Amino acid sequence: MSDPRDNVQQEFLAEAQELVEALSRDLLLLDEAHHGNQRIDPALINEIFRSVHTLKGIAGMFGYKHVGAVAHALEDLLDDLRLGRTPVGSQLLDVLFDSVERFQRLLALDDPQSPDEDPGVQAYIAAIRSIGAEREPEEGDPLDKYAIEPAVLSVLTEYEEHRLRACIREGLKLYRLRAAFDLTAIDDSIETLRDVARDDAEIVTYLPSMEGGNEDTIELVVLLASRVPEEDLKARFEGRYGTIEALEERTHLPTLPPRLTSIPSAAVSTGPHPEEDPSQASLRSAANSVRVDIRKLDHLMNVVGELALVRSAVNRIVDRFKSESMHRQSLMDLDRIGRGFERQLSELRTGILDVRMVPLGQVFNKLARIVRQAARERDKQVRLVVTGANTEVDKLIVEELTDPLMHLVRNAIDHGIEPADARNRVAKPSEGTLALNAYHKGSNVVIEVEDDGGGMNAHQLREAAVSRGLLSADASHELTRQEMLNLVFLPGLTTSPEITDLSGRGVGMDVVKTNILRLGGMISIASEQGSGTKITVTLPITLAIIRALIVTVASRTFALPITAVREAIPYVPEDVRTIQGREVITLRGETLPICDLARLFGFRGPSREEGRFVVVGSMGNRELGFVVDELIGQDDVIIKALGKSLSSVRGFAGATDLGDQKVALVLDAPALFTEHFDGPDALRALETHP
Amino acid sequence: MNPTGQRATLAPDLDSETGAVAVLAVLAGDEAYGFPLSAVREILVPPPLTEVPRAPEHFLGVITVRGQIITLIDLPKMLHLEVEQTEPYGRVLLVDNGDELIGVAVDRVIQVYRMEPNQIEYASAMGAELSEYVVGVGRVPSASPTDSEDMLILIDPVSLLGE
Repeated sequence: MSDPRDNVQQEFLAEAQELVEALSRDLLLLDEAHHGNQRIDPALINEIFRSVHTLKGIAGMFGYKHVGAVAHALEDLLDDLRLGRTPVGSQLLDVLFDSVERFQRLLALDDPQSPDEDPGVQAYIAAIRSIGAEREPEEGDPLDKYAIEPAVLSVLTEYEEHRLRACIREGLKLYRLRAAFDLTAIDDSIETLRDVARDDAEIVTYLPSMEGGNEDTIELVVLLASRVPEEDLKARFEGRYGTIEALEERTHLPTLPPRLTSIPSAAVSTGPHPEEDPSQASLRSAANSVRVDIRKLDHLMNVVGELALVRSAVNRIVDRFKSESMHRQSLMDLDRIGRGFERQLSELRTGILDVRMVPLGQVFNKLARIVRQAARERDKQVRLVVTGANTEVDKLIVEELTDPLMHLVRNAIDHGIEPADARNRVAKPSEGTLALNAYHKGSNVVIEVEDDGGGMNAHQLREAAVSRGLLSADASHELTRQEMLNLVFLPGLTTSPEITDLSGRGVGMDVVKTNILRLGGMISIASEQGSGTKITVTLPITLAIIRALIVTVASRTFALPITAVREAIPYVPEDVRTIQGREVITLRGETLPICDLARLFGFRGPSREEGRFVVVGSMGNRELGFVVDELIGQDDVIIKALGKSLSSVRGFAGATDLGDQKVALVLDAPALFTEHFDGPDALRALETHP
Repeated sequence: MNPTGQRATLAPDLDSETGAVAVLAVLAGDEAYGFPLSAVREILVPPPLTEVPRAPEHFLGVITVRGQIITLIDLPKMLHLEVEQTEPYGRVLLVDNGDELIGVAVDRVIQVYRMEPNQIEYASAMGAELSEYVVGVGRVPSASPTDSEDMLILIDPVSLLGE
């Protein structure tokens, strides 16, 4: 982190990664349009071109030679594509899709600047080069048909010029729309115009007109291409925007310059241009968001923790002054300000947690690529349907979720969805459907992976379990169908070759389950033989992840949820007094009951005599100091329930994995409070009368 | 926790033809115990243990196995046997009690026996005061030359912290 060069490197990698992801997403859209025989949106191809172009630029700056070389070759190919010199075809799509994997591999290299030639890269570049180059013959310039002002033509980019030619060639008519736009909302207005035009007109370009407009508005001349009759266009645009007129067609050939000069590409990126992605929503949201390194958020969270400590230091000073009554009014003010400060601090904390939330769409995009790849490998036709991509969960969960979901998606294609001929035999459409659905349900987020494939064969699963010795034959006959399906989660079963060859799901469902459980989630299967399988994953949004203060008591580690912690102060044994058999100390003039956790838990091990701390907890209007040995620090921990067998043990909300197989128990602050103030019996009473 | 949802007891392990049952024999304290093999999910080298304060004595604490928190029990203590435990336990069995996975600390694993019905004496038939967790006693050929046979205390996994 401290090395600025390192930081810059990280920045580059993050940006490059984002570009490659955008590229991957757009390629999928292109692929979909191509296979669906839909009209390919020129703006989409242009967006792909721009991603690669930008990647080439930054790769060059940071010395990623191979990335730069591949991007350069692709850029040429894409340029031909967007200028209509090369048609979209499956060979071309394959090469483009390969680039996503290749970029990711190249970006992951330890030594990206290595000057070594990479034969793989060279071969790939050759493959790219072999596709381009076949240009459509030019048969007279279609632009000659119209009398377009040279002033307009001279500012068209090469791309706009291509679109203009293509539209004319397709038999579209050109129109000129003059409209005034509010200067403050011009971007939005143009997007709206684009929406209105979308279905049957293409906006080729727009230019500010020389006349019209005042200080608040600007008049634009918009060049439209459309096959809709002029009257219809008039009806649609004139009321809202201004005048529209058909461009005059030439009756005789003019003497136009044979080749129009294109403006430098640098100008392309300034201001809103028609060539920018018309899927405005995503464009706009991209412009309004920033990319943040998760470590920066962690750092902010630590700062919040430090601020809480500063706050308690201030409290101590206030305390000291309380004995001098002359400052009474000021102290009350200070106290009031302190409370406000605490409220803001807590809001800041919530805010940072909120920033950590990311849409599941991030994972879904990766999955879409897997779907395409797996479908091709298996020679199956799969349509991916995604809903709820905007559903948000904690970044940490999203990261941990990628692998299990990838596994489920692969399984659905490998084992679920049948080949086209098999589907046809049972009167299903040749194209299988794989649905990824995400939605919130209470404080959980639910993710479904559903296919309309052949479903799971419960009896085969059972037989496999019996033959693997995981289940006795007798026991197996008592299983319900659902229990048989659940056998797929058994570790021994899924690694067995017998089952992967059956209709069952592939290797590693036990691993998927373990990963989901680790996140505090659940996984369940529903499957109808012949009609498909649905796997449902239910996860906490953030609840299972809590901020905790990690402390030690007699060399054992515990986690205390930070929500219950007000502050931590040094423990001074001399200050402890006993009132009615209970230990208390005085904090800011008030009596604070304390509870020595080592004694409460019956630890006989050596507890330190010096340097201990009192962690002041507060629940409602009560405060209680927990005496601990060390404060290790704050951490985000995932709470897991203790087994049922330990449910009778009071005082623990669960346990958390600290890594390296180390477990810390999470203290149940409310239970400890109740126990301390109301006695141990109160807990049992609570239990019977919840 | 239990992926099958089944009830693991000795009975379903019986081979329907011969009535034989597969039993995993382990040594804990001074005694040999038998678990129905179908209820044993895994045998582990003991992971680091985290003790749970205030839990009954037969709970050693919790361990984590692939992210799952698992309760570890001391078998002899569970059966109220007075055993001088000097050596640290050498293995952990993950046993499915039909409700959750339970870790059982043992000294070592002996072997798997295929027990015929005539080798098993059920507790109900013995009339002796046995722990609720014990199904009965099994006799297996002895590993040592001095004894003709060894005794296995057969454990019922379902009653082991189940319910």
